[in-house]
Amino acid sequence: MAALAHLRRGFVQIAFVVLGIAIINFFLLRLAPGDAAQVMAGEAGSATPEYMAALRRQFGLDQPLHVQFFSYLKNVLTLNLGYSFRQGLPVSELIAHRVGPTLLLMGASIGFAITVGGTLGFLAARHAGKAADTIISILALLFYATPVFWVGVMLVVVFSVALDWLPVGGMITIEAGHTGLAYAWDVAQHLVLPTLTLGLFYLAIYTRLMRASMLEVYGQDFVRTARAKGVRAHRIAVRHVLRNALLPIVTTLGVQLGSVLGGAILVETVFSWPGLGRLAFEALFQRDLNLLLGILFCSSIVVVLINLAVDVIYTLLDPRISLGGTP
Amino acid sequence: MSLITLAAPTPHAAPRSGFLWRLLRRPSGVVGLLLLAAIIAVAASAPLLYPDDPLDMVAQPFLWPGQDAAYPLGTDMMGRDIASGIFHGARVSLLIGAVAASVSLLIGTATGALAGYYGGRTDAALMRVTELFQTIPPFLFALAIVAILQPSIPTITLAIGITAWPSLARLVRAEVLKLRNGELVQASIALGAGDLRIIVLHILPNTLAPIIVSASILVASAILTESSLAFLGLGDPNVVSWGGMVGAGREVLRTDWYIATLPGLAIVVAVLALNLLGDGLNDALDPKGERRA
Amino acid sequence: MTTVRLSRRAFLAGTSAATLLGATGALPAFAQPAETPKRGGTLTAIIQPEPVTLTPATNTAQPTQVIAGNIFDGLVYYDFDLTPRPSLAERWEVASDGLTITFHLRKGVTWHDGKPFTAADVKWTLENVWKTVHPRNRALFENVAETQTPDEHTVILKLSRPSLPILSVINAVGGPILPRHLYEGTDLLNNPYNNKPVGTGPFVFKEWKKGEYILLERNPNYWDPGKPYLDKIVFRVITDAAARAAAIEKGEVLYAPFNPVPFRDVERLAKLPNLKVETRGYEWLSPVLYLDLNVENTHLKDVRVRRAIAHALDREAIAKVVWFGYGKPAISPVPSTLASFFDDSVPRYAFDPRKAEALLDEAGFKRGADGTRFTLTHDPLPYGDDYRRTGEYLKQALKRVGIEVNLRAQDSAAFIKRVYVDRDFDISSSYNAAFPDPQIGVVREFWSGWLGTGTPWTNGSGYRNARVDEIIQSAAIAGDPAQRVKLFKEFQQIAVSDVPTLPLLELKFFTVHAAHLKGAVAQGDQVYAGLKNAWIDDGPRQN
Repeated sequence: MAALAHLRRGFVQIAFVVLGIAIINFFLLRLAPGDAAQVMAGEAGSATPEYMAALRRQFGLDQPLHVQFFSYLKNVLTLNLGYSFRQGLPVSELIAHRVGPTLLLMGASIGFAITVGGTLGFLAARHAGKAADTIISILALLFYATPVFWVGVMLVVVFSVALDWLPVGGMITIEAGHTGLAYAWDVAQHLVLPTLTLGLFYLAIYTRLMRASMLEVYGQDFVRTARAKGVRAHRIAVRHVLRNALLPIVTTLGVQLGSVLGGAILVETVFSWPGLGRLAFEALFQRDLNLLLGILFCSSIVVVLINLAVDVIYTLLDPRISLGGTP
Repeated sequence: MSLITLAAPTPHAAPRSGFLWRLLRRPSGVVGLLLLAAIIAVAASAPLLYPDDPLDMVAQPFLWPGQDAAYPLGTDMMGRDIASGIFHGARVSLLIGAVAASVSLLIGTATGALAGYYGGRTDAALMRVTELFQTIPPFLFALAIVAILQPSIPTITLAIGITAWPSLARLVRAEVLKLRNGELVQASIALGAGDLRIIVLHILPNTLAPIIVSASILVASAILTESSLAFLGLGDPNVVSWGGMVGAGREVLRTDWYIATLPGLAIVVAVLALNLLGDGLNDALDPKGERRA
Repeated sequence: MTTVRLSRRAFLAGTSAATLLGATGALPAFAQPAETPKRGGTLTAIIQPEPVTLTPATNTAQPTQVIAGNIFDGLVYYDFDLTPRPSLAERWEVASDGLTITFHLRKGVTWHDGKPFTAADVKWTLENVWKTVHPRNRALFENVAETQTPDEHTVILKLSRPSLPILSVINAVGGPILPRHLYEGTDLLNNPYNNKPVGTGPFVFKEWKKGEYILLERNPNYWDPGKPYLDKIVFRVITDAAARAAAIEKGEVLYAPFNPVPFRDVERLAKLPNLKVETRGYEWLSPVLYLDLNVENTHLKDVRVRRAIAHALDREAIAKVVWFGYGKPAISPVPSTLASFFDDSVPRYAFDPRKAEALLDEAGFKRGADGTRFTLTHDPLPYGDDYRRTGEYLKQALKRVGIEVNLRAQDSAAFIKRVYVDRDFDISSSYNAAFPDPQIGVVREFWSGWLGTGTPWTNGSGYRNARVDEIIQSAAIAGDPAQRVKLFKEFQQIAVSDVPTLPLLELKFFTVHAAHLKGAVAQGDQVYAGLKNAWIDDGPRQN
């Protein structure tokens, strides 16, 4: 029942977000000085007024603003994201091309951050106040405080150029023409450095979050009770504490997705990773508003959907349900 | 959002005596406070130690640190003194951090307090808006705002400020919700106190702990975000900021890594200081421990 | 080689561009290769930024042209001294009155889809592309009254008035020829072949993976026997400068044109035995860095202030410090590479801050109590750190003579709107490609006819001078090369004296390529031409 309510709420939320994004972005982005025709004419290095007029006609920029907005809204409501005139392809197709690499990068980074960060946080909490805790906490803070792009470039310098272990950038070795397992292995090699770069920042967050929430749970009554009953420390840590401490991690994960996509812009730029973040960044500077709106729109929907999933998971993990009998 | 959860209170119930004393009892608080004091001292002494414009090209370009005693941290690709840049940059970076954080605090606290206090439709509407802001990748949103308004210190600050508040709003709302039904607030309502009065006098002071902790983290994150924007080429060329210095040095990162690394280290130290301070404050204020007691 | 000689003689016979382009043309460097080229191999190159489209017919942006040059052929290509040499046209003649240009096309050339290339393709493209949507050619081909195709391999241009610059733009990207059978009757801007082009060039378009790479394959039926040598070319999109440097250094990339890495990295890369840094191959472009001084500004409208600014800037320092030596001080808007047009007797503005101050005092702008005379804004071209640093230099240099400069940063869309549409700026920086004839690239900055049209990279300063307009218009339609040279010299005298646009540097763009990649730079328009002479020497190499 709870799950169903969540779903309903989720759809209302999506509808609102869709409308909100369409309105905010459409008008906000139109405030940006210059239009796509000027960008293209600028890049061409030479232009004539006739050429620019032809471009504007092609892009639909010669229409009044409200006409442009309503036709956009109509398109969105029919799940048509429009056409990127600059790229000469439908927006949905462009996004479909790029969404895979971005999800791969985000998934790998978050996976890395949660597993390693979670483990480190767990260890830190188990040894709270001791040297291990201090070292882990300091490391986490350092990872958190170092600018992501700097980490990225330095990893390239060390692991690609100096040690020659990993490729500099991109997602595949194009000229090799790998297929099957060789292809997967190739992608995996290209994935390592971007994942580390993006992952280290979030690793710091999950380490600290895990540590904090473990300690919080340790302080709660049911753990004290378990302790008083003489349950062994390790068992307490894993059975009672870890399980409950996962809740805030799951919540954060959902809330954080949007920010991970933002971080992906930097990482995709440093590593020439062909993802959505970079596409959005370029679309912004090229005033390719259909494309930018499309990306914002899709990323929002993904965030909302994942939050929905998180809510559902949360109900399943909720201590009041799972641990109701342990006062 | 990450930033707030970073500061999720850890429950070490401390005896309730002087707040500063409790802060100073935590090593993280002490180190954070000292580092921050050092950075503020650097910022304050900039006009005294380096009275000239830090953008002046004063020496041969690409002097490495230590190569010339007159320029202990070396010079950049235009022959500008890096030490002077770091001192003056501290002012700008701290200013951006502080103002951006204030903007976030203002929006976040107001939204959270109103949503939590009034509940119902107000709550629903404000939370939808908050969610909307949360679903748009904040960094991309900040980029868009800077691109639209054109990069300058005020626009960069504003962009960071208005994209960083949603998680704070949620935090404040949660706290306010708890207090809303507490005896104090109920009693005030019964006595006929105005909403604004109740919010300002009875509710906000009691949510101060998470807000203060968040503030230090918001400042830190604003400094980081500014450097990321500068890396992508969206910095204010008229003033020296740490982020701008890192951004300018990125092109020569392979050959003259010190140019981007020294201001980068300044950022790391500042962010570290603010986070440590946040930790310390969190432990010292320890709202949860207090309430449980 | 016979055909080359023939066409050169024919070319010289027609009074045309021979003087204009300098008749000294040495044989191309690749004509006597020291080593025998080897067939085969994949060349990985960098393309940055990613192109918008792959057709040079509607887009003259740099990345589009770098790739399109491999897929398309021009009627001619240009040698290092800018002499046109035969490509799809085996020879050509220009009538002595300049009103008839005849091209004799190469026989047996086919499009990549197997259809024959004929005079009809040229005629159709000229009438439907060059004369209409092509951003640069429109003005040059305006006076072509009629295009005749007496047979499948002859094209005759009948002009109402001469247009000599035509012979300077008809290479693969300046005058790209489209396959008529795929374009006729379609919407040119939306034709699907814009993104999967079909040309006659040495390489065939294979695949474009957006955001990642563009793959070209060897054209087995290429008309130039034995060429190209490479089997494939992969143009990789690499977004970050540091990553580009790393990829080149590591040998992941063998060819990278158009300043792919920061200058500081070039210094380092140039010292590596496995790499070469090459500044040739950009002669056809001849780029000039300049400042536009907005003559509508209350201060800048005084020519003394503009001259003062010219005296306040040390161009040697800009070349050395800001551009790391990849540029030489420019004294005229016409670069010295256009040897026959270039006038080195124009007024010089030596670096002399005192003189600058004197001129400013004379103009009535005394230093105030704080040492400042007045404040100007500067909008650097938003094309990267080099222009930003040029702006930072300007700020410091003008501060020394009492002019405060506020730098403004923005992206390119905002820059174009601000400078060319809103005209809300004081000083902007930019560069233009001069091309072999000032008519094509240089006069755009000075002709008042562009004002009010909001067209990028035109008259940014807002300069209006009746004589200059007159010169520009007469030179466009003058049939006598000597007369044109005279006109352009007079133009330079006025333009430099009035200095609405202040030329700073003749930029030297560079290409970085692997040392074992041979024949990669073989002509004056190489960066926009096919890599048909390039081959990989995979014999023993140092590495």
